[in-house]
Amino acid sequence: MYRFDTMTKLLQWLFMLALLGGTWATLTLNLLGLDPLPPPVYQVLWLLPTYLLVTFGCYSLGTVGYRLATFNDCEEAARELHAQIREARDDLAQRGMKF
Amino acid sequence: MATATDQVVGYGLVAFSLTLFAYYTIWIIILPFIESDHIIHKYFLPREYSVIIPVAAGLLLLLFVGVFIAIITWKNRTLTKKSA
Repeated sequence: MYRFDTMTKLLQWLFMLALLGGTWATLTLNLLGLDPLPPPVYQVLWLLPTYLLVTFGCYSLGTVGYRLATFNDCEEAARELHAQIREARDDLAQRGMKF
Repeated sequence: MATATDQVVGYGLVAFSLTLFAYYTIWIIILPFIESDHIIHKYFLPREYSVIIPVAAGLLLLLFVGVFIAIITWKNRTLTKKSA
């Protein structure tokens, strides 16, 4: 039998999506034949997938904007890389390579 | 380093997404629980637009991305043909 923690990420996502989608469809279409939900709750429930999608879009847009605004130079890494290049050039020059 | 323009655009995007999230949350989650004759309903479009607008925006975005990719591919192809 499958265990949730040994599934691939794709399967985990599909599984959760199917579970949530099934719950949503059951409640929205009232497949269990329960008493109808109060109209405001039903209106919210019906639009919930769209709402989640828009929320995800907002989050993505905000993340892109934030990373753009706080984009950084990596001066430490640049210095390290330059040092390594110099080291390599010196080493190669010692072995007779001409630049 | 992020230039001033980058920062303006970036924080602008953050502000826009936060505003959009707040407005959409009020529209979708809170509005159904407020009486339909309350004045706040004047500031929101009818409920069906809360699906139509995101769908239209998504289709527009997909169209834009598709056209962009098509143009890039087409340019690349003509370039390689010239050099070959």
